[in-house]
Amino acid sequence: MSQIALWGAVELGLVYSFVAIGVYLAFRVLDFPDLTVDGSFPLGAAVTAVLIIAGVNPWIAALCAMVAGAAAGLVTAVLNVRFKILHLLASILTMIALFSVNLRVMGRPNVALINEETMLSPFFGLGLREFMVRPIFIAVLVIIALFAVWRFLESDSGLAMRATGANPKMARAQGVDTSRQIYLGMAISNALVALGGALFAQTNGFADVTSGVGTIVVGLAAVIIGETLLGARGILIALIGCVIGSIIYRIAIQLALSSDVLGLQASDLNLVTAVLVTFALVLPRLRRGG
Amino acid sequence: MISLKDIEVVFGKGTPLEKRALNGINLEIEDGSFVTVIGSNGAGKSTLLGILTGDIAPTTGKVMIGTTDVTRKPTVHRAEIVARVFQDPLAGSCGTLTIEENLALAERRGKRRGLAMALSSNRREMFRERIAELNLGLEDRLGDRMDMLSGGQRQAVSLVMATLTGSQMLLLDEHTAALDPGMAEFVMKLTDRFVEERKLTTMMVTHSMRQALDFGHRTIMLHAGEIVLDVSGDERKGLQIEDLINMFRQIRGQTLDDDELLIG
Repeated sequence: MSQIALWGAVELGLVYSFVAIGVYLAFRVLDFPDLTVDGSFPLGAAVTAVLIIAGVNPWIAALCAMVAGAAAGLVTAVLNVRFKILHLLASILTMIALFSVNLRVMGRPNVALINEETMLSPFFGLGLREFMVRPIFIAVLVIIALFAVWRFLESDSGLAMRATGANPKMARAQGVDTSRQIYLGMAISNALVALGGALFAQTNGFADVTSGVGTIVVGLAAVIIGETLLGARGILIALIGCVIGSIIYRIAIQLALSSDVLGLQASDLNLVTAVLVTFALVLPRLRRGG
Repeated sequence: MISLKDIEVVFGKGTPLEKRALNGINLEIEDGSFVTVIGSNGAGKSTLLGILTGDIAPTTGKVMIGTTDVTRKPTVHRAEIVARVFQDPLAGSCGTLTIEENLALAERRGKRRGLAMALSSNRREMFRERIAELNLGLEDRLGDRMDMLSGGQRQAVSLVMATLTGSQMLLLDEHTAALDPGMAEFVMKLTDRFVEERKLTTMMVTHSMRQALDFGHRTIMLHAGEIVLDVSGDERKGLQIEDLINMFRQIRGQTLDDDELLIG
């Protein structure tokens, strides 16, 4: 694997760290299996791309992407909490709907951002090579997001959210409005995923309506790899695990695809992903001797 | 003062499975008094408790806690004035959170939860002191996850959680029933001490007649959704378990199956 390919894998891993942290919030903190992310990731990409082309500041475009993602998460949460639709099904409904929404937002299946001003533009030409600037820039954003989420989950309000996922009956007895916690948590989760989508569009120079397929599996893979490597030792370690897991996942994929011995090609990506995730799921069981 | 006025609870009203769980309950509990509730299975103990916690809304009647009419208030909105300990030791706390995180959660019961750190050094110190009162050595394990504790330890911590901040009513739902005899006695004595020290208005539902008579100031017996016995003061002091069974027979005019009331 070349140096550029390695940097590229790290960059993609960092972009998907936002997805991993969002998935961690939904799956682990709220115990809410949420497939909305397959729709909110390309939604973030679409919103940011369209706004940048319309001349909006790329930072504001990313912020708008987050708001759109939050709204998507909220729709799923309302379907589940207010209308009692099974969480998995509620999220699939939103995901399907978002496919059409994303096409409407972009007006066509994909939008190119080549030669447009992005969040990264000011940092190019400062001496570092372009393939290094991108991952460093995203790493800074990931660290900010990670600390913000960590700080929130360690607050009184965050504790209420964790209790909602861990023991909703007890949470209500403590005066925690569990419905509101699910709304809030799902909004934050999908806002982070949409931010990942927005950064994906800005670093890769395009938004594509099909780029969301399998987002949930990638996010879950990162969360599980992180848990397998670092173990369950508190919130901060779990969040760091999401980031590390996401990067390792991308490097593993890159290695698998670039190894001539295995004879794999790019179209085998989904198969390799499924094998990797299965492996990460089975490994802790094997270790325990179960 | 807690007051229940003409409380009726009917489940499945108008269906063939209609069940009258509570049938015109009138009850006043003075501030600072400790009431024990006994009754056979299906007598309405859990329903009575549910009326007070907000899990069950009465079909008719009025529930007052202090000066607040809570009849239609859901659990979430009366958490500030009602503290409770569940029967299942796993139900009252979050296994995946640490002991101190569970305490922090309980410390904000019914209050607004902001973005301040849940575990400040002040709070940690306060939790340490309160947990040390248990004499279980848990004060050095505040950072351990709750699911590392035994059922009895967990129930003891739940009791601390319920009494951490002020409330107008403490509800105990057979909170020693799932524990081994030694731990049950420990938790019961602890309960008595906390209630006594803090002058908590308390209602304890129990299956054990011994507990019902040994603790508290007043004992209520429920049968078929009605209060059939309400004793306190001197009358209660001289009461033995046998008397309770005899009284029950007299009142209901029927023989009592010993299995219905566990004598502990």
